[in-house]
Amino acid sequence: MKRFILVVFGFVMTVSTSVFAAGGSNDALDTVHMNMSDKASLQRGAKLFVNYCLSCHSAEYSRYARVAEDLDIPLWQLKENLMFTTEKEGDLMKTTMPAEDAKEWFGVAPPDLTLVSRVRKPNWVYTYLRAFYQDESSPSGWNNSLFENVAMPHAMFELQGVQRLVGKIDKVEAGAIDAHAAGPELAENQKLVGDAIFELVHPGKMSPVEFDQAMTDLTSFLAYLAEPAQLQRKTIGVYTLLFLILLTMLCYLLKKEYWRDVH
Amino acid sequence: MAIHRHDDHKSANGFMEWVDRRMPVTKVWNEHLAEYIAPKNFNFWYYFGSLAILVLVIQLVTGIFLTMHYKPDAALAFASVEYIMRDVPFGWLVRYMHSTGASAFFVIIYMHMFRGIIYGSHREPRELVWLIGCVIFVALMAEAFMGYLLPWGNMSYWGAQVIISLFDVIPYFGPMLTEWIRGDFVVSDATLNRFFAFHVILLPLILVALVFLHLVALHQVGSNNPDGIDIYDNVDEHGKPLDGIPFHPYYTVKDLIGVGVFLMIYFGVIFFAPDLGGIFLEKDNFAPANSLQTPPDIVPLWYFTPFYSILRASTDTLLAFLGVASIAVGVLAAIFVKVKAPWRVAFVVTGLVAYWVFDNTTGKAWGVILMGLAIVCFFLLPWLDRSPVKSIRYRSLPFKIALAIFVVAFFILGYLGMNSPTPVKTLLAQVCTVIYFLFFFLMPWFTSIGKTKPLPERLTSAEH
Amino acid sequence: MAEMNMADGHEVDEVENQKRRRFLTGVTAGVGAVGVAVGVTPFVLSMSPSERAKNAGAPVQYDFSKVRAGQMVKVEWRGKPVVLLNRTPEMMAGLGKISASLADPDSEQSLQPGYAQNPERADASRPEFLVMESVCTHLGCSPVEKLAIGPDPQMGDDSQGGFFCPCHGSKFDLAGRVYKDVPATTNMPVPPFKFEGNIIVIGEDDGRTA
Repeated sequence: MKRFILVVFGFVMTVSTSVFAAGGSNDALDTVHMNMSDKASLQRGAKLFVNYCLSCHSAEYSRYARVAEDLDIPLWQLKENLMFTTEKEGDLMKTTMPAEDAKEWFGVAPPDLTLVSRVRKPNWVYTYLRAFYQDESSPSGWNNSLFENVAMPHAMFELQGVQRLVGKIDKVEAGAIDAHAAGPELAENQKLVGDAIFELVHPGKMSPVEFDQAMTDLTSFLAYLAEPAQLQRKTIGVYTLLFLILLTMLCYLLKKEYWRDVH
Repeated sequence: MAIHRHDDHKSANGFMEWVDRRMPVTKVWNEHLAEYIAPKNFNFWYYFGSLAILVLVIQLVTGIFLTMHYKPDAALAFASVEYIMRDVPFGWLVRYMHSTGASAFFVIIYMHMFRGIIYGSHREPRELVWLIGCVIFVALMAEAFMGYLLPWGNMSYWGAQVIISLFDVIPYFGPMLTEWIRGDFVVSDATLNRFFAFHVILLPLILVALVFLHLVALHQVGSNNPDGIDIYDNVDEHGKPLDGIPFHPYYTVKDLIGVGVFLMIYFGVIFFAPDLGGIFLEKDNFAPANSLQTPPDIVPLWYFTPFYSILRASTDTLLAFLGVASIAVGVLAAIFVKVKAPWRVAFVVTGLVAYWVFDNTTGKAWGVILMGLAIVCFFLLPWLDRSPVKSIRYRSLPFKIALAIFVVAFFILGYLGMNSPTPVKTLLAQVCTVIYFLFFFLMPWFTSIGKTKPLPERLTSAEH
Repeated sequence: MAEMNMADGHEVDEVENQKRRRFLTGVTAGVGAVGVAVGVTPFVLSMSPSERAKNAGAPVQYDFSKVRAGQMVKVEWRGKPVVLLNRTPEMMAGLGKISASLADPDSEQSLQPGYAQNPERADASRPEFLVMESVCTHLGCSPVEKLAIGPDPQMGDDSQGGFFCPCHGSKFDLAGRVYKDVPATTNMPVPPFKFEGNIIVIGEDDGRTA
């Protein structure tokens, strides 16, 4: 019986790994290194989110007060820096822009961002935020190498500066760079984002390194925003598992005790 | 007026005596727990029955608490789930327990069914236990499917759209029927509202009733065991089986270990990986339902994927194969089966008719039929299995090989169903579909050949 | 089974075994009970007011400058009707005349912030201004205001004005104090409040007690 299970299991494993080695998403994504316990990073991300995203996008399932509480932002700071004066701190994070206007200006209503990190995954968000480039042929003057012809303009160009698309490398090749291969040769002012090579033509307020860090902060905040419970659940989980180990051990001893009757 | 007791079970004390005269509490306790005699060699596979009841209870309790906050309204449903995840104190925990519980339920049920197959628990005299169990499996699939619409995410929406559209293939009545099921021309608020009613009231009631009947039937015939022999063949002078022990306390304490280990895995998922990498909670379901945009990879949750693969595998290639195969089977039967000449002609004619049918029908209709048949096959198991022994420990080699191939095919079908189809994958799914049905179709044959091992006198390997 | 151990004749061992068994059963049941209790907690807590309810129950602001003497408005706070009554000098004078017929004239049994535990049941800075949850302390109906001084079919012949509960006939004076011999036994509650210029904030008093 045991051998039977082992044989079947082994076969399933072999087949599934050999036949389906390739797979997954087709996009070449950069890996974001988030630290969800770094409250300072999450706070910086929250500030970027409110200043650069919330004017067009909403986060309509999330409340200011909850964000402030989870990220250790004092109430006065929340009211002064993150909220509009008419709002209560327990209000949902709605955008100030009416949806109809937005649709007229951009062609589509900007999507709600509360759950974007669960729909798209953090690596996508991180790559997307850094992949805007100048493109005169597009109506907004901007394009995105990860999300071609996106209606959204580059909201943070004053921070990042203006970059132009120089070329693209093979997607599979780009996907392997993080793991074990070196990237292509790049000039001083060039940068690889996903599978796209960009050239910085006009520097912004931040250096490329600073901007990447800022986008890491923003991505971390969006990851938090998509599931606020993640900050607590792992802690509760550790205690729950420790308790269950104790309980299961007791049950095991109890079973052994009773089963001494059975021969 | 005097009350006459109809049993001779001894009440524990005066109070229980008072109760027992009016309601057979001690009698039921004894007959189903304290004096329910179970074989003493239950192993790993026997934990899943009690675990299934545990998960049913978890689902009922968490479901009730979710219902307190959820809104079955197309305009509010998605937001109300996020409300539960954020604004309700510990709502996220209740919701994750319910979503993880759904997957856990199917893991347990599949293990429980596999246990039945390897130890012959579907065999005489437990056919009804098995049949009721199969109905529970179908009811559980309906329950899970309807529950999956409720978060009103985009995958909920399109999943429901696809599955309801399956009924379109029914000749003449199909389109009318699908409109009736949805209550609209597309999946809509009306659909959501009625699925909510079925999910929280109708199907839970049916499930609980079926589980009760499952246990009533089991306790009528007694539990099978890993040796597949009857423990009542060896009894002491009082008629008690020598290899039997009372379920309580021995199996209640043993099952507690199973509960402990299960809860560790269950809460491990809930607290550390509630999405389980998109398998338990699909990423497209975190976007609200959008009737204008289908998600790029539309796949059902993992527990439906083996059957979904069979549905998708049904293309003209598969039908052509089935057509040719039916002629081949007809001809082979005509040559080798020892019957009179008219029967032989009938075999060939049947094969030709089958070929004609396969050649003149569409893959869509057959996908639905095959998917349905794939589930119906489980119901037929007690009568397809002709082996003289029940347990895999004593079965012949052909059965073991066939079962191993079937399990592998089932896993591959499950895996393929989680991925978007490519030509190679579709072909593989077709091969596995054929294997799936061959397992059941050929079972009367491969269970009756080969050499079985001799059955032991008494239960073996009481490992504890 | 049990008798198999007995057959060995080690009855002392058997007693020890039973003790051990009972001990283990007790410990496991105890730990299990703790687990169940802790496990039930999130479910119980999930039924308490959510963040949405708390936000809806946040303090409300009202510009009371338009509420002239003798006028009353109702404001919703936490879904409950809160009356804002600007009492005239006659109304204030009436409060003192009826103390004898009240059940709890000094508001010792009722709910109100410390600064409103006085005959007027109001803040000393604006004693004429009554802020009160208009919820009958009998079974939760909202009493009808009877602001006029003088005979009234429900309030009696020498009414000094007050509130009358249409459900079960409880009577309150213009400070929300309950009369004797009616179904309700305590005065109507006064919520926390504070004044900010012409704005009254209901539901918040910065922790002030007196």
